[in-house]
Amino acid sequence: MIVANQLHKSFKRLGASRRAPKSEQYIAAVKSVSFSALDGCITGLLGPNGAGKSTTLRMLATLIKPESGNAMIDGHDVATQVLQVRKHLGFMPHNAGIYPRLTARENIHYYARLCGLTRKQSQQRTGELIEQLTMLKFADRRATGFSQGQKTKVALARALVHRPQTLMLDEPTNGLDVMATRGLREIIRQLASEGHCILFSSHIMQEVAALCDHIAIISDGTVVMEDSLNEILKRTGQNDLEDAFVQAAQSLNHGEDE
Amino acid sequence: MNLFIVMYKEIVDNLRDRQTVFYALLFGPVLLPLLIGGSLVASFKQMTIDYDAVTTLSVVNAEKAPTLMEFLYSNNIDTIAAPDDVEKSVRSGESLVVLEISDDYGEALRNGSPAPLTLHVNNADKDSAKATRRINAVLNVYEQTLSSLRLQHRGIDPTTFDTLNIIEHDVSNEGANGQLLASILPFLFIMSMVMGGFYLAIDTTAGERERQSLEPLLSLPLSRTSVVMGKYAATVCFVLLSSALTALSIYILFRIFPLEIMGGQVRFDGPSVARAFFLVSPLILLISAMLISVSAITRSTKQAQTYLGVLMVIPMAPFFLLQYLNIRSSLTSMSLPMLSQYQLLENTVLGDAIPWLHVALSVAGTLVATAILLVLAARLYQREKLLD
Ligand SMILES: Nc1ncnc2c1ncn2[C@@H]1O[C@H](COP(=O)(O)OP(=O)(O)OP(=O)(O)O)[C@@H](O)[C@H]1O
Ligand SMILES: [Mg+2]
Repeated sequence: MIVANQLHKSFKRLGASRRAPKSEQYIAAVKSVSFSALDGCITGLLGPNGAGKSTTLRMLATLIKPESGNAMIDGHDVATQVLQVRKHLGFMPHNAGIYPRLTARENIHYYARLCGLTRKQSQQRTGELIEQLTMLKFADRRATGFSQGQKTKVALARALVHRPQTLMLDEPTNGLDVMATRGLREIIRQLASEGHCILFSSHIMQEVAALCDHIAIISDGTVVMEDSLNEILKRTGQNDLEDAFVQAAQSLNHGEDE
Repeated sequence: MNLFIVMYKEIVDNLRDRQTVFYALLFGPVLLPLLIGGSLVASFKQMTIDYDAVTTLSVVNAEKAPTLMEFLYSNNIDTIAAPDDVEKSVRSGESLVVLEISDDYGEALRNGSPAPLTLHVNNADKDSAKATRRINAVLNVYEQTLSSLRLQHRGIDPTTFDTLNIIEHDVSNEGANGQLLASILPFLFIMSMVMGGFYLAIDTTAGERERQSLEPLLSLPLSRTSVVMGKYAATVCFVLLSSALTALSIYILFRIFPLEIMGGQVRFDGPSVARAFFLVSPLILLISAMLISVSAITRSTKQAQTYLGVLMVIPMAPFFLLQYLNIRSSLTSMSLPMLSQYQLLENTVLGDAIPWLHVALSVAGTLVATAILLVLAARLYQREKLLD
């Protein structure tokens, strides 16, 4: 389970002069992000490019510290109980980031060992994941030249290696074809039905509409609406997520203008 | 524990990289010693004259000076008849030196006047110059013998004319050449250490950032410090391997080309090389720490190569400093990493005694510098900027 409460994060703007006002020296990547993602649910973090999705996920994954606000993963604070959070969390970042000179199996095995599994347990767990994600064909090939779909599978297997209760995926369907996307959705649904909490970021409406039980719309660093698909459509008076999304984003801008 | 898992993975991963392996196992340990050590040994062989080796000398008019010919022969110089065109033969290198005995040589000797001899040499040619020095040395001895005979013949004590008796007493155990040869040893060791860990350090830090594999790695339940230390340990392994192989190849190299020419003053025998390796070994830790902490700042492998390329000046600086400035071993110089190892290794090879205090200072200074760099590297890994 994830509970985020008014997360805020800004970055130094490179090349800004020191005499400029503070607001110009920093870019607020995430202004105020609050939402929750429940166990057994697929939650979508929907937002356009640059909205702050990746930055939010990085804060939740304890890679960077929130400036203000707080977040809990399975009851552990991301700012203070770093190791506990990481134990409960599987994170698949935007880029697969697998090691090209290792085989798929070795890539997964390495992560298993780092998560504290013994050599034997790691081998067993790696074998399980390879079967579960149907990676047998390329499991013992070095990762150089893997297709996008193959890389994503390896990265997903690595994120799942320590059986985390909560799983976060940053735009996982990027670059996947229709079949691979379907396969990935199947896996995600399966994991949710097993009781895992899944947070999924995307800028593609159809995908979020098709997969997610719960949606948080993020725009310009702020979560503007958070509800189930039907509720969001009802509240915005639209019958299509895309229109609802535009409306929600606009309401934010109007609010700022006044 | 996690440290060893990271270390093991980085070693396996990098052993599959041809470039890393080439620089760790071949460049430092084999190529450099062969190139530098080999060419030095060759040049010493060229400069040093072995008076016991038999050589031949072309002589014009040999029959005019039978005693001289006999003297040359007894000094391991065989004489042969000179070619017709002496000048051309010397210029082309066919003959190294030609000794020409003038027609009035015998008569001049008998009259007690200077007897003319001409040496045809080519000073632009190293071999010819070397042969000339040998012939000159032998001729000088012959001349002295003749002068004393002449003086005695006239009833004068030959020593009357020796107004000065200059004795050169070299207190150093070595000549200037021995010094150069001795400083090659730390140079080879340090270069092989730097090159041995260079690509692994870059690949595991800047390379990991570039491949974007750092982000998922750091979201695992392990501390960032154990990640850096694992990478450091992997670098240490490569640097250790590279420098141990270098010790082996230096030993083999000077086995094949023994340096008796230095009068046995420069030692490259087994125990000396082993002692040198022991004295230089703290640098394995320091150089690895340097490589890791510098490449941890960089964003890309290319940037890392540039930074470390500039940094290479540090291990080379003592080599040039010691060549041009005469820095004597002192407590200060012994506390400075790199410089102290240069001096300790020179002393080892030249067979000078090394006080234990110097060894202790050198080790301590190097370990302190290592600790500072490691703390720095660990700090660098705590920064959020690492993930940009
Ligand atoms: N390390 C950083 N330094 C400076 N600015 C940053 C940094 N990381 C993110 N930003 C800025 O913060 C904002 C949000 O970025 P973020 O990557 O979170 O967006 P996103 O929603 O994931 O977008 P996308 O769909 O393109 O992946 C952007 O304007 C980005 O330029
Ligand atoms: Mg993103």
